[in-house]
Amino acid sequence: MPLNIDFVQVLLHMLNFVILAGGLTLILFNPIKKFMTERQKQFEDREEENRKNAEENERLKAELAAEKEAFEQEMASERMKAEKEAADAAKAYIESSKNEAAAIIAKAEKEAEKRREHILDSAQTEIGELVIGATQKLLGDTASPERTEALYDAFLKQAEQNAQQKEKRS
Amino acid sequence: MKQKWTKGRKILLVVWLALILLITAAIVVVSLTGGPPDEEGESIREVMRDGVLHELNKVWFFGLEVNPAVVSAYLVTGVLLIAALLIRIIAVPRFRTVPGKFQAVLEKAVGFFSDMAKGNSPHKTGFVAAYIFSAGLYIFFSTLFELFGIQVLSTDGTSIPLPAPLADINGALAMGIMSFGVILGAGLIANGPKGALRVLKDFSLPISMSFRLFGALLSGLLVTELVYHYFALSFVLPAVIGIVFTLLHALIQTYVLTTLVSIFYGEAVEPRPKKVKKEKHKKPEAVSASPADEPQPEIKGE
Repeated sequence: MPLNIDFVQVLLHMLNFVILAGGLTLILFNPIKKFMTERQKQFEDREEENRKNAEENERLKAELAAEKEAFEQEMASERMKAEKEAADAAKAYIESSKNEAAAIIAKAEKEAEKRREHILDSAQTEIGELVIGATQKLLGDTASPERTEALYDAFLKQAEQNAQQKEKRS
Repeated sequence: MKQKWTKGRKILLVVWLALILLITAAIVVVSLTGGPPDEEGESIREVMRDGVLHELNKVWFFGLEVNPAVVSAYLVTGVLLIAALLIRIIAVPRFRTVPGKFQAVLEKAVGFFSDMAKGNSPHKTGFVAAYIFSAGLYIFFSTLFELFGIQVLSTDGTSIPLPAPLADINGALAMGIMSFGVILGAGLIANGPKGALRVLKDFSLPISMSFRLFGALLSGLLVTELVYHYFALSFVLPAVIGIVFTLLHALIQTYVLTTLVSIFYGEAVEPRPKKVKKEKHKKPEAVSASPADEPQPEIKGE
């Protein structure tokens, strides 16, 4: 054979390499490869778990933000409602106070009017008496019971007219 | 930075001067001894011829008269298997998630060949990764093996150093044939007889693989033999030559063979696209039919 090729020796080399390849694969390559693959899988699982956790965190964060926003909206709505209620209550109170004040004023005015009338009445009576007295003094002897009665009648007539005018005014 | 440069220059200067002194000393010694001693044993021509053809020095191996490379091959295999067994028993059970230095080296080796298999043969990687891992370790360590210069007795009683197993054409041929067989088998399994035929077209593959391996390692062997043979060249130079030729060949040939095997394997197992039958042409009437004649599809959900 050229180059001194010997097929027995070629086969011996092949046998040697088959033994070596099988041995190395079983003893060294497969266990190390298995370890590396498992570790890779562990890392991938962790990465996946981290990704899921991150997603869950994001979801919870979004949920929390939405809840916060809803709460804030509700708070704002409640505040507006409370403000409106307070404003309404204040307005009603002011209104009732005004009404009450108006009623008090009206009552006071009415009372003042009554008093004024009473004063006027008493003043008229006094004036009447004074007039009668003065008239009696002026007339002196000319005064007689008939004359006095006629004066009283004239006064009463005048008083009735005054009363009618007053009723008309009220 | 400036100090480092100064240190580096100093070291270079020392090495340069040492080299000059060593070579000068070698010249003086050679000139004083009157050149290389007379060869009583083999001449350089015989050594070189034996390096290529392995005709002279044979050794006994289980009753067979074989080239010393066979013994080298089995020795390397034995050492590698024992080392692998020790690693499996001692180191592998203590592997940690964060690797130490030794674990990192082992993982790097396995990862390197796995990645190479995955890159060159993405469709099927399991077997070829294991194969090129074994082939790579074998080529690398069997090439480094010749650095040890282990001596054995030849059949005629002389002491000879064990060569690298792949420096023997039989060893290189075995490697080439096996690699070709693996590629052929993978093509047959993955794509049937057609796949095997595609691989068979590259019939020069085992020859090229074998002779590339053999030639590369043989050149190293011949240069080393040449250097070792002459007394005048036996100072400093053998260490440099030995390491350069052996280590570089070990690395380069490991890379070349494993890359070639994984590439050819990947081509062999690559799934072939199925032929799509040509669709029959539609009749011209059907093509030219007015849209009004076509049945209108019912629109649901309105």
